[in-house]
Amino acid sequence: MGALGHFLEREGIATASISLVREHTETIRPPRALWVTFELGRPLGIPDDPDFQRRVLRATAELLERSDGPLIVDYPEDVTEEADFTGWACPINLAPQASDTLTAEIDRLATWHDQIVARTGRTTTGVSGLDMPAAGALLSAALAGDLPAAQALKEAVDDLRAYYLEAASAFPDPGTAKKRKAWLWDETLFGRALLDLQPRLAASDDPQHRILGNLTLIPATERHRLAKA
Amino acid sequence: MVKRLSDMPEVEAHHLRRIECPTFDDTPALPGKPLSQRRVALISTAGLHRRGDRPFRPGDGSYRVIPAGTPARDLVMSHISVNFDRTGFQQDHNVAFPIDRLRELVEQGVVGSMAAMHYSFMGAFPPDAAEPHARHLAGLLKQDAVDAALLVPV
Repeated sequence: MGALGHFLEREGIATASISLVREHTETIRPPRALWVTFELGRPLGIPDDPDFQRRVLRATAELLERSDGPLIVDYPEDVTEEADFTGWACPINLAPQASDTLTAEIDRLATWHDQIVARTGRTTTGVSGLDMPAAGALLSAALAGDLPAAQALKEAVDDLRAYYLEAASAFPDPGTAKKRKAWLWDETLFGRALLDLQPRLAASDDPQHRILGNLTLIPATERHRLAKA
Repeated sequence: MVKRLSDMPEVEAHHLRRIECPTFDDTPALPGKPLSQRRVALISTAGLHRRGDRPFRPGDGSYRVIPAGTPARDLVMSHISVNFDRTGFQQDHNVAFPIDRLRELVEQGVVGSMAAMHYSFMGAFPPDAAEPHARHLAGLLKQDAVDAALLVPV
């Protein structure tokens, strides 16, 4: 991110960036940066809180009035972890059964995904161009040993991940985002499938498969599950 | 709340420490100017684009165009990294791409005007791969009379 500030400013476009990782910004030294302490992926802080987001964006934009860069300003507001009042210790039972399949699990979530699309008017799925059953079929084929091209598999997996998390946010008691992410890895056949797929990708002769298996399939925070798998 | 790397869980901090950051001999600094006289574009590095546009790929230093009137329902994210939260964006696109907030700041007179086109890169780019695209983009921004950009990471 910070590198873009250098490139654009040099070409005559003034820049101000939000910084999520202060150490990176201190190294790159872009022209103007506002350091925030928010979770990675949430540079404006809090979803559905326009006032909060506007304050952050305004603080960033106001740096464009300054000429004394490189500068890093610390944003004064923090976001406390999303409060969990739900006690969602035992989520809706989508737990795998012996006879269950990934296909059935994907199908079972469709009605919940429909709910969230109806409520919000949007979905962030649709990168792969596949519908969810087809994305699931691609993943199932990969698990059966027929590895598709890495890019197609990555797009299908990311679509499925978005689908699962969006669907779970429509559950009667959706819990926090953190709980829903834990659910994906703890409770679903999809999470299990990704953990099972990882070693096959990592052992592939195709370097793109190895990038997917080693870097862009399992989040760093979830890789401890691979050892157990 | 994320603080310094030293305050993060080690597994996350380790991942972030391994990211190689480019260094520059000096930092260019254009003169400041009142915000109310600026025309501003948003440039995200979240790997955002309209559904149907080319998804980002590993090593991709190019950008995608997001016209100001793009409906939220058309926005998707194909960043290759899995090491940041996406549920915020799934809930509200403005938490990663604050286009509605920028529009409000313009309506309030805080910001002079907003660009007709906004842009997204995919932040995992090697700087050498992105530089020619960024230089090209600067020319396009000037065609849109834009003189400032807000850079928003994930």
